[in-house]
Amino acid sequence: MHNKRKIQDNLLKSLTIGAALMTASALFIVFYFVFTSGFSLLSFDLLVSDYKTEQYNTTLDDTIETTMFEEPEGNEAFFSQIYGISLKDAENKDAEAIIVIDYIAPESPFNTLKSINENETVNASEGGVITRISFENTSTALTREGAESMINKLDGGHTIREIIFVEPGGGIRGSIIATLYLIGLTLVMALPLGIFSAIYLNEFAKDTRLTRTIRSFIDTLTGIPSIVYGLMAVSVFIPLTARFNMASGLSIYAGAMTMTVILLPVLIRTTEESLASVPNDYREASLALGANDVQTTFKVVLPNAIAGLLTATFLSIGRIIGESAALIFVMGTAVRDSVYPSQGATTLAVHIWTLMSTEPANVELASTIALIILTIVLILNTTVKLLAKKFDKLGNR
Amino acid sequence: MNVVVKRLVFLSALLSASFIIIVVVFVILSGIKPFISDNEGLGPVSFIGFITRTIWLDGPTFVSNMYGAGYLIANTLYIAFLTLLVSLPLGVLTALFIAKIAGKRTGALLRSIVELLAAIPSIVYGLVGAGLFLPVIYNTALSFGIQTNGGNSTLAAVIVLTFMSIPTLTTISEVAIRNVDLSLEEASLALGTSKTQTHFNVVLPAAKSGIFSAAILAIGRALGEATAISLVAGNALSGPTFSLFNRTATLTTAMLQGMKETTGLDYDIRFSLGIVLIIVILITNFALNMLKKRVGKMHAQ
Repeated sequence: MHNKRKIQDNLLKSLTIGAALMTASALFIVFYFVFTSGFSLLSFDLLVSDYKTEQYNTTLDDTIETTMFEEPEGNEAFFSQIYGISLKDAENKDAEAIIVIDYIAPESPFNTLKSINENETVNASEGGVITRISFENTSTALTREGAESMINKLDGGHTIREIIFVEPGGGIRGSIIATLYLIGLTLVMALPLGIFSAIYLNEFAKDTRLTRTIRSFIDTLTGIPSIVYGLMAVSVFIPLTARFNMASGLSIYAGAMTMTVILLPVLIRTTEESLASVPNDYREASLALGANDVQTTFKVVLPNAIAGLLTATFLSIGRIIGESAALIFVMGTAVRDSVYPSQGATTLAVHIWTLMSTEPANVELASTIALIILTIVLILNTTVKLLAKKFDKLGNR
Repeated sequence: MNVVVKRLVFLSALLSASFIIIVVVFVILSGIKPFISDNEGLGPVSFIGFITRTIWLDGPTFVSNMYGAGYLIANTLYIAFLTLLVSLPLGVLTALFIAKIAGKRTGALLRSIVELLAAIPSIVYGLVGAGLFLPVIYNTALSFGIQTNGGNSTLAAVIVLTFMSIPTLTTISEVAIRNVDLSLEEASLALGTSKTQTHFNVVLPAAKSGIFSAAILAIGRALGEATAISLVAGNALSGPTFSLFNRTATLTTAMLQGMKETTGLDYDIRFSLGIVLIIVILITNFALNMLKKRVGKMHAQ
């Protein structure tokens, strides 16, 4: 009998351990997948370059005198001594052969290529792709002939007629800027509104029916799925911004308004909690010194709740970075390179959705963006935890 | 000055509270338009038809007005139910482990893990679902001789949603378990039961009201989740789908489908789906709350 109970106990206990292990492995799986499939693409270039592929038809700038170039040390690619450029064979995402610029000497004429169609200078940068180079009096150097052949023709001393250079794209600069715009604009609206509402509810409101209604209305906002906020934004905020000539359709402005509404319930609750945690002695001491209740609130209570306010801000930033469904409706799914608040754009999260919902899905780049998002979330989470610790210490003083 | 500040904060609170009305009113206003307007010559959509039909659109786009969301409602509820079936035991058992069985350090570590899981944006879960689980499901199904649509399936949706609901379930259940009166536990132990027996037979039943609230919250989230499942569901245009390996679609994925290139009724009908989604969530919440009361009473007798 006793033995049976022991077996049963151990079985149940191992069930809980198994569940806990599965929960922990969920986190591991997410991080492992995002890291392994996204890390290889992560680079500084990715963060600052355009998303769209740009092709330039260019030629050399004749006014520049060329000298012979020294091959850089440790160069494994094919090097042109006349033009100071090294090329290597590579493959693009669709497994097609391409020729990539591996190195450009600082004084190389490839740094100041002349666009043929438009009057602008194009600088071929490392990582860029050269599709073909045509010459005046020899056959054109093509991608499929390989980097070595292209370098040989370059160094053959022929006059270059045209260089077709492709900036590879796939960068996320636009989405980063859009995300920053959205965070800034949202916080500008949400923080005052949320903090003022919390101040009213916690400091001034009497326990009347109106107060209770306000509270329950705000709480109800929490339960609404974010996609429904997206629908609301399409029928309220997009016409509203159009009315005030802020935008003519999808826009980051409308996105920020939507995020403001989404953030409010959590923002108000967190702020209220931090206001409530300020000891009443402080208020009474301030009032006893002759300050009125408004002065007390803004000069005594609010400064003492600053850690809570920061926590609320960080949580809000995390939520803005992670939001996707609502923003698809108000800001659209088109990835932009030049971002304006009065136009649509994708945040990092929506960029992932766009990459994954078009055929074929670009899992690699999406994972890289996810890796960036996870890193930010991790930093925000740690900061909030540290703040909470500090907060506790302050409270115990 | 004082009066101005006080009025300002009052108006802020009033504005914050008014948003719920704005959301409800405007979604309803836009959502009933397809049922009452002429839809640019297509004629009004029949409401009963809309909520009962099992094909998304009977006829070509921009020509037919025979939209149907009946199968979407069924799929949405089915997926949410399956998710709860998997994630509720996982979440509650994890919570029990953290609250009662694990040591202080392990508990703290697990709590941090759960917090992090909760902080990960849903789109990242969708990405992991699409990038990692779809191929696994596709290959597993294939090895059993089942052809799937690249792995897009009910199963994939359930897995992604399970990942997302576990943190909610665990956090709230843990609080509920912790709040159980210690004297109850001690009384049980004094009667000669083992610790584990006490945990399962006394603590969990005593915490069930809180666990129920967790389930209600989690199912609300599962019903309303959009972007993550849209990447793994497969956007079935008819249904309902009850097989785990067939592609599926939910109310939310249908709202996102073809967003980029559509206008007119085909766009407006999304708002009607929004109304249906809100109604489905409200009814589910109501039903679960009734159940919660029932179960609560049962134990009291």
